[in-house]
Amino acid sequence: MMNRKELENLAQQWFEQQAWKPFPFQKHTWTAFLQGKNGLLNAPTGSGKTYALWIPIVLEHIKRTPDYKTKKPKGLMAIWVTPLRALSVEIKQATERFVEELGVPLTVGIRSGDTSQKERAAQKRAMPNLLITTPESLQLLLASKAYDKLFHKLIAVVVDEWHELVGNKRGVQMTLALSRMRSISPQLRVWGISATIGNLDQAREILLGTDKAFVANSVLIKAKINKQIEVKSVIPKTIEKFPWRGHLGLHLLDDIIPILRKSKTTLIFTNTRSQCEMWFQKILERYPEFAGDIAMHHGSISRETRLWVETAIRDENLKVVVCTSSLDLGVDFAPVETIIQIGGPKGVSRFIQRAGRSGHQPGKTSVIHFLPTHAIELIEASALRKAVKNRVVEDRVPHLNSFDVLVQYLVTLAVSDGFYPEEIFPEIKSTFCFQTITREQFQWVLNFITLGGQSLQAYDEYKRVEIEPDGKFKVNSRSVAMRHRLQIGTIVSDAVLSVKFLKGGYIGSIEESFISKLKPGDVFTFAGKQLELFRIRNMQVLVKKSKQKTSKIPSWMGGRMSFSSEMSDLLRQELYLANADDAKKSKELKALEPIFKRQKLESIIPNADQLLIETFKTREGYHAVIYPFEGRFVHEAMGSLIAYRASLLKPITFTISFNDYGFELLSDQPIDMQGILDNNLFSTDYLRSDLEKSLNATEMAKRQFRDIAVISGLVFTGFPSKLVKSKHLQSSSQLLFGVFEDFEPDNLLYQQAFRETFEHQLQEGRLQLAMERINTQTIIWKACQKPTPFSFPIITDRLRAKLSSEKLADRIKRMTIQLEKS
Amino acid sequence: METLKINCHQRSFVLHPSGAAYWEEKGMLLIADVHLGKVTHFRKHGSAIPQASLYQNFEKLQAVVDYFKPKSVCFLGDLFHSSINSEWHLFKDWIEQLQSEVVLISGNHDIISKSMFDGINVTVKEEWLIDDFLLTHYPESRDGLFNLSGHIHPGVRLKGFGKQFLKVSCFFRREQQLIFPAFGNFTGKFIVEPNSKDRIYVNTRDEVIEISAKLIALK
Repeated sequence: MMNRKELENLAQQWFEQQAWKPFPFQKHTWTAFLQGKNGLLNAPTGSGKTYALWIPIVLEHIKRTPDYKTKKPKGLMAIWVTPLRALSVEIKQATERFVEELGVPLTVGIRSGDTSQKERAAQKRAMPNLLITTPESLQLLLASKAYDKLFHKLIAVVVDEWHELVGNKRGVQMTLALSRMRSISPQLRVWGISATIGNLDQAREILLGTDKAFVANSVLIKAKINKQIEVKSVIPKTIEKFPWRGHLGLHLLDDIIPILRKSKTTLIFTNTRSQCEMWFQKILERYPEFAGDIAMHHGSISRETRLWVETAIRDENLKVVVCTSSLDLGVDFAPVETIIQIGGPKGVSRFIQRAGRSGHQPGKTSVIHFLPTHAIELIEASALRKAVKNRVVEDRVPHLNSFDVLVQYLVTLAVSDGFYPEEIFPEIKSTFCFQTITREQFQWVLNFITLGGQSLQAYDEYKRVEIEPDGKFKVNSRSVAMRHRLQIGTIVSDAVLSVKFLKGGYIGSIEESFISKLKPGDVFTFAGKQLELFRIRNMQVLVKKSKQKTSKIPSWMGGRMSFSSEMSDLLRQELYLANADDAKKSKELKALEPIFKRQKLESIIPNADQLLIETFKTREGYHAVIYPFEGRFVHEAMGSLIAYRASLLKPITFTISFNDYGFELLSDQPIDMQGILDNNLFSTDYLRSDLEKSLNATEMAKRQFRDIAVISGLVFTGFPSKLVKSKHLQSSSQLLFGVFEDFEPDNLLYQQAFRETFEHQLQEGRLQLAMERINTQTIIWKACQKPTPFSFPIITDRLRAKLSSEKLADRIKRMTIQLEKS
Repeated sequence: METLKINCHQRSFVLHPSGAAYWEEKGMLLIADVHLGKVTHFRKHGSAIPQASLYQNFEKLQAVVDYFKPKSVCFLGDLFHSSINSEWHLFKDWIEQLQSEVVLISGNHDIISKSMFDGINVTVKEEWLIDDFLLTHYPESRDGLFNLSGHIHPGVRLKGFGKQFLKVSCFFRREQQLIFPAFGNFTGKFIVEPNSKDRIYVNTRDEVIEISAKLIALK
């Protein structure tokens, strides 16, 4: 048997044959792995992380198999989990290259949503030795009969891009699967790979769970690859005094053309898919010479098109790609020289990650251009530059006690071989997410999946998981099993329809909420094409090409992001500088001078010790705009909190809107700002209970419940080809939320909606801290005649919440009276 | 509780906040889209909707019957959501103690066989012509007839000052037609866009209010 040194030499020699030199972090990872350790590797995309971990896995096999050159081993040896299936091909090629050249007859395979039925069946008979898969496909393996036989020879599981999973429910799902696999295969080594995030140590704990010995036998390896990032902002030549939002930045389109021409390949990152469509179309419209050199990439476009774009970037066949976060991750695009970010990226990590997509060669500087969509975003640009310089990165906050994911996981196990609660409970408790779960809560979940509630009731026909005489929890109904398999996963989106040409040819998928607003004959822009809606049938949108110029552009939900607390802090610091000497101002701040001047006409630019409130009246009603500069999520919460408290003073209805700078309360009745101040409505007393009540009155928790309802299987989202069969099972989570509110308010899943709103939407504690900060500030209330420049982006935002303390009938009557008066 | 009396085609109808309406001349209570059995149907397929919620429909039905004490009750379709399940027994018990004659105009969801309804003395009809009124599930227009129907679960979106929007379920009245809101508690609504000749009566918890067309937000 070869010892560790000899094994590592094998790898070293292979590297030398490629004329490469292994990085220190790669060698450290080989050693740690071969010593039997678990760990987390902190390395960016394109740094050689694939070889850092695939190599020692293969070496471990060589060590265990003296005749490794001839013996063809059977069964799964290692699983590589990647959150993005687009990445799997690249990983597979790299792996195959190594095993082939080393002469180890190991098979490498991919299993994901794109794998054909036939190939899956073949894999079921003979699994590849090294499997590349997604968290969801891994769950599906757990939902198949005799899954334990698949996993019992596993050497390692590697979770790639762990930072993308650690802060969401896919991460919870992943750690539950790991807890099961570790029981089946006690020798299993668990590794993660993560880009830089604020809480790397915690990310390792979340991956490895709470078993002390297991964590003690682990390492955190950091690839110290320091990349130079240069941030340049596109400063508009003329600054509008009233910075409307929603410009999409297109007025600066001409300014980026020289940048595009100069660079070999440029990626243009937009924040939403509609923005992406718009930019793509406008560039082509104004600069038709880019035709053939420009492409678009976003999550709704068909996979074939996306893969084609990715290949074309690599092969240097494209000059410009307009994209969304769909290109944040993954494959190494060496030819990319320049990045343009349209609009605020909302977070430092995301910005750094995007910047890092350019200038991949070692020693090269990454260049990112920031293009503001409204002038005030220029403040963000200069704040971001500081963030990049100081390497400020955000934490990814883990989910705790996600009962919806647990419900799904337990039903998954019940669908395959069934489970015994006594065996599974300790495993679940060993995961980071469920370390505090109590027996009672676990029993609640068991009751939920077997009884559909907490006790057996008359006339009930609930059917999901059954308890067999020996105590095994099992799904025996084939239709329950089938529906569950269709719904495994924790990424919830709107019902989507596939878009196809009448003559055939899949273009992509589109949300039902958009398409339902169109009539046949309407023209819309999608995937960069003008399409005429022909008809909708069987979850398919049939379209024809159109030559019409004007069209509707789908707006996709989920494009809204909030500033992280780090980003908010930087932004405030930057803004306060607007009052400082010119010497301290960045060129962005200097460019904003006309706006600041107009702002100071009726109002002020607040300092660190001031909270600015502006009130004014417009045709729309009475506005109160408050500027804490804490990020969208905190503002949404604070807006509903203050609206709730104000609504206790008298019956009133508020429309609340918010952005990253502040929030607005709008009412059809005068807002008694003096009363709000006199009654100390910014107090931190009773914060939690007031907030809870205000959440009840607004839509926040209801929105959060949607995902929970889908993940836990309360709502069946259906499946295109099975649509007819499930028709009577369609319901909206909104309706359901109301039913729980009235009949089962102590339901753990219903309560989870509120908890998640607190912990994740509001990033618990941030509101508290923000309110505490406000309480140290002096409130400056400016009663203005007209909207100020700062208020413009907020009062023109379309995303709104409402809160009312009036009776519905009274509201309708008053609306009528007001209408008649006008 | 405030009802609203309206006149359609020279007859009086009393609109109730629950979404039911009472035809005074005939002593007939009209109710559309109750979707009984929906909760149980979901539960049967593994979706754990609180079971307690299903009793609410029966409580609502009883309340509105107690209020009007009608000679007859006519369901304008979609009385049951899907195939037969245990809620049928609750319905049967409810029907048995009811003093009124019961008619069901069959809707697209009503897949329970006619013979089951015969067994509990509920008359099932495809449509019903009374005087010059045509009672159907799907909204229909036929010469000279006034149509009472359901199916679409109408609601409207109201727009007020201060960017206020409200979605409320409603009775949707067109020239020769009155479309009923869904009565069932676990049903959604479809937002209609009335034209200037249409009239809209919205349901709040305890009142029915006629609203001006100007208040209605169009897409």
